[in-house]
Amino acid sequence: MTASTIDNRDDLISYLHSAMALEHATIPTYLTAYYSIHSSTNSDAAHIIRVVAVEEMLHLTLVANVLNAIGGTPDLTLPGFVPSYPAYLPDGEDDFTVDLRPFSPEAVETFCKIERPGKAPSAGARLVRTSDRGRPLLVSSPTAEGMRFYSIGEFYEEIIEGLEKVAAGDPGLFCGDPARQVGPEYFYSGGGEVITVCDLDSARRALRLIAAQGEGLDSGLYDADGELAHYYRFRQLQLGRYYQVGDHPDAPSGPPLSVSWDDVYQVKVSARLADYPVGSELAGAARKFNAEYGAFLALLTKAFNGRPTLLLDAVWYMFRLRDGFNRLVRNPLPGSGGLHAAPTFEIPTPVGSDPAAARTAGGTTRAVTR
Amino acid sequence: MTVQSFDEFLLLSVDLTAFEQTDLLGTGLAHHYLAKARAACGDEVVTALLDAHRAARADAADGVGGHDRALLDRALRHRIFSDDRLGPVARNVIKLWYSGTWYGLPAEWTDCYGAQPAAETSTVTAASYQEGLLWPAIGANPPGAKAPGYGSWAQPPRIEDRYLKGTAK
Repeated sequence: MTASTIDNRDDLISYLHSAMALEHATIPTYLTAYYSIHSSTNSDAAHIIRVVAVEEMLHLTLVANVLNAIGGTPDLTLPGFVPSYPAYLPDGEDDFTVDLRPFSPEAVETFCKIERPGKAPSAGARLVRTSDRGRPLLVSSPTAEGMRFYSIGEFYEEIIEGLEKVAAGDPGLFCGDPARQVGPEYFYSGGGEVITVCDLDSARRALRLIAAQGEGLDSGLYDADGELAHYYRFRQLQLGRYYQVGDHPDAPSGPPLSVSWDDVYQVKVSARLADYPVGSELAGAARKFNAEYGAFLALLTKAFNGRPTLLLDAVWYMFRLRDGFNRLVRNPLPGSGGLHAAPTFEIPTPVGSDPAAARTAGGTTRAVTR
Repeated sequence: MTVQSFDEFLLLSVDLTAFEQTDLLGTGLAHHYLAKARAACGDEVVTALLDAHRAARADAADGVGGHDRALLDRALRHRIFSDDRLGPVARNVIKLWYSGTWYGLPAEWTDCYGAQPAAETSTVTAASYQEGLLWPAIGANPPGAKAPGYGSWAQPPRIEDRYLKGTAK
């Protein structure tokens, strides 16, 4: 067995910051596929992607709770928190590309890879030397230089073992202010629920829920709540049928589901601002989306730093982001051979911590004063 | 329907609605709306409307790729809105963008210029109500659609600066 890469609270805090970035990084990928679907088509696929994306938001919140419980300071505005797409995730010895793609067989293939964290063949194989291709890998070890994890599942196992080890030597590890915990009343419209974290047991439950909703290391179709794991939700799109209880993983026997790959805006894969015509109205709309997304991350940061009620305002932000997303994907991207535009998630530097500033950071829209 | 006439329809719609092209395309309905106008009024009328708009833009051209707003306003009134045939159609296109509904042209118009099979009042697609420009224009969501989030109605409406009084575009 390799030596633990987590020795103390600071190491744990670094790992949990990485875990938050990891949980967030999948959301733009899911949202791009989701919003590329023409409205009122592909309802089966849209529903499946939406549920998973919402549960990734739950995972982000669970990690924030663990980080807060050990006295950390969640910050979604740090440079690099939102990866530059394409990003890379580990798939055992190799890694795979995480793009911002329209809904397509390739996108679903990527989703399956994201959600199936493979178990390393032996405890000693949990850490793998990072290839020197200079790719931005999402689950590299924040403490062991040049090393990354075999899978997302192994990454979380390392954190859970690290928590156990540090808690054993430091009874005061869970010193965080309970008022910074986000409670279950703030999460709805998805499976699972928010677990508030105050000790090792609740921290373990929070992190295990993340693994179990993906597929977990114990690979059951359904989790303890009877909820189908994300990996199998996406397999349904590949296999064309819903699972029901008792099914073999390769042979779902539920009702057929229909997928129409053509009812999709073919957005440019992992579009960048540089792909937009310089100075165009459309480039302005893309920048505005990024600025609003940045303001949203700043709001979440405040919510995770002692003001959980702000998560109610975050719902408005998300609905506005939905409208901005739809606007972009319906616009053809000039010079791209008929492809459509999509948000680039290149987040500008935050404009300050004043809530009023954050609220108007989205560009030219401002509230009318009464 | 040619690519060119679609682009011209978009330019016309920008001048008629005061929304940006990105917003109009962002409804996902621009192609539907051009098709609706053609079906309701006939190709010939729509082509004449686009021609008149092109001429109005030429009247107002400033010689460096833009146009003078006051001149354009006057040219649009002169060539389109005061025209018995094109004026009602242009007003209908505005209503179409803002409400998502095509309103049947008055009998006086169809008596003179002919009735098309698709001329009656109708909703264009199931999405057109919620994509109406009326809603972003007043900074509200279409009731029953595009949920804005619980309690968001307690906030003042969000209107783009360029539409507020005292700000020039």
